[in-house]
Amino acid sequence: MKTRFVLIAIVLLALVFGLSTLTVAKEYIPGSSLKVGFIYVGPIGDLGWTYAHDEARRICEDVFPWLETVYVESVPEGEEGLFIDKLILEEDCDVVFTTSFGFMDGTLDAAQRHPDKIFAHCSGFKRNANMMTYMADFYQIYYLNGLMAGALTKSHKVAYVGAFPIPEVKRHMDAFAIGVQEVDPEAELHVRWIYEWFSPTAAKEATEALIADGCDVFAFTEDSPTVVQVAAESGLPSFGHYSPMYNFGPEHVVSGQIAHWEAIYLDFLAKVYAGVYTARNLAEVNYWWLLKEGAVEIGAKPGMLINPVHEDELRAVTVNDPILGTINVWDLVMKRLEQMSDASMVVDPFQGPVYDRKLNLRVPQGLRMSEFELTTMEWAVEGIVGPWPGEP
Amino acid sequence: MGWETWFIVTLSRTLAYGTPLLLATLGEIYTERSGVLNLGVEGMMIMGAYAAFSTAYTTGSPWLGIVAGALVGGAFSLIHAFASITLKANQVISGLSLTMLGLGLSGVLGRGWEGRPLPASIPEITAPGLSKIPFLGPILFEGQNLIVYFSILLVVVMWYILYRTRIGIAVRAVGENPAAADSLGISVNKVRYLCTIVGGILAGMAGGYLSVAYRPAWTEGMTGGMGWIVIALTIFAFWNPAIGMLGAYLFAALYHLSFRLQPWVSPELLKAMPYAFAIIVLIAISRGTLHKKMGAPAALTLPYSRGEE
Repeated sequence: MKTRFVLIAIVLLALVFGLSTLTVAKEYIPGSSLKVGFIYVGPIGDLGWTYAHDEARRICEDVFPWLETVYVESVPEGEEGLFIDKLILEEDCDVVFTTSFGFMDGTLDAAQRHPDKIFAHCSGFKRNANMMTYMADFYQIYYLNGLMAGALTKSHKVAYVGAFPIPEVKRHMDAFAIGVQEVDPEAELHVRWIYEWFSPTAAKEATEALIADGCDVFAFTEDSPTVVQVAAESGLPSFGHYSPMYNFGPEHVVSGQIAHWEAIYLDFLAKVYAGVYTARNLAEVNYWWLLKEGAVEIGAKPGMLINPVHEDELRAVTVNDPILGTINVWDLVMKRLEQMSDASMVVDPFQGPVYDRKLNLRVPQGLRMSEFELTTMEWAVEGIVGPWPGEP
Repeated sequence: MGWETWFIVTLSRTLAYGTPLLLATLGEIYTERSGVLNLGVEGMMIMGAYAAFSTAYTTGSPWLGIVAGALVGGAFSLIHAFASITLKANQVISGLSLTMLGLGLSGVLGRGWEGRPLPASIPEITAPGLSKIPFLGPILFEGQNLIVYFSILLVVVMWYILYRTRIGIAVRAVGENPAAADSLGISVNKVRYLCTIVGGILAGMAGGYLSVAYRPAWTEGMTGGMGWIVIALTIFAFWNPAIGMLGAYLFAALYHLSFRLQPWVSPELLKAMPYAFAIIVLIAISRGTLHKKMGAPAALTLPYSRGEE
């Protein structure tokens, strides 16, 4: 009885493995219809990160008649391999996008398992002949929002509710703080961490704690409009994050960060379709897309760069810029936006000299940070107040 | 800032955040007192949150939303009641399924509802005169809403019913010794059904509080595990509504302080604090001598069939 069971098990295993190796891996033929799978870390209804990726997916499907897409949502980090295999073996996908940092190693493993398929991993740094990386980063927008926050704070205390103390969030806080201090050198950026990507209750209590501590302008990294709502209830200005959050505080949302992942997806998929990118030439392909590529947008909602409710206040505050001379903050934001959107990018938030809050010189005079430095930065700039786990 | 302001803000936030915990805990206390363990609190809460938000959005009345949340929570608990009381299925499995069903169903139904601000949410009220009372005034009578007061009133009422009325005796008897209760002419299944529904109604209302009062918006998964805290609080409370209130407020205070104290204490440590508190209390309760005197209802999780014992 027992040997029979073992025999059956061996036959079954042999069948499963045999079939999976027998499956003829067919490579995508440029110009033919393309099937693309997305692996999402959250639910598509989060109004944040995953929502933005899914909107981009739908735009791609509308734009390209030869494109078919499928997605899997709320995939736990660490289990992506299983879902990638499903997309490739069962759904027959030619390209798979994985949209969370934590999917990095699983995506690389899958890329090596399926050398004829194309993979793209968002926000990581590991690549392969058939796996590229991509990211639409907000640091320039945070800096621009920081300029406005510096003009709007009366208590000289600006607040930031952060998700996790990782380089991405720290970079955004630093850029925001640099903007704040460019306009109001006295201002401090008060920081609280919630250790969640999505937690309305944590975001609410963190915001209430910051209000109680006297902060009067709010920015954040969390996947719900909670911070905007709580600030608006107290009549305080804030900056939306990830999706347009204007509706949650029409009188109080000054501006914000909006992602346009479709810019990257459209470009990449068009190149796959044209045969420019194949499963053999992606080892050096990395989309690090910013304002000038149109992957990110500044605004309270698309098309509304700055909420007109705050125009007078922003025009009333002026700064002395060594190059631009005396300029009001409204014009300064517009000027900097124009400069950073231009291909030559004559300004950057992290323009040396930049010191961290322990007074170490981090970016020397006349230099900027490389993409690698930006994606691995752990330090806090001067003016940031509060805990900073992992501070070097 | 003076210590007084510190206390006022902390206690005021404690009431605001503790209210949904309290409502759902009170409900679960009654459910478990009757011998039914319902691990579906999270599912009932999120269904309540979705129902409350969609109703408040379409009708424009947040109060109708709260009512809808309570009704949907109650109706949803019937699934668990039917499975565990009538069909005598395993209560742990049935409750867990209810949580999964609630999270999934609300996610599907809620598609397209995210990103919409409510036209009107439950108003925060400031009682003129009363809010001028030193210290207590700003905590109790400034910026709180009627549901907060309702939940405190409910503690008194539910405590009184449980310990001072015949209904309470029936509930406790059914949870401790259903055979004896049956022989006294109490309908075990009826009591258990009603208590499970009470649990569902209050969990649904707690969810509604989250989506139309605490933070007026719908997002998938917005209860964020609160239902599990409620299960722990029910044990912490020794199945007593008054201690349940203490537990809910203690947890809420620690939760708020975990953000307030960040400039001085490591945020990782603070993040763990409310949960560490829950675990320590659970360990203390399960080991202490109190356990025998004030332990779980003897018939908790046991289905009742007449004449089997």
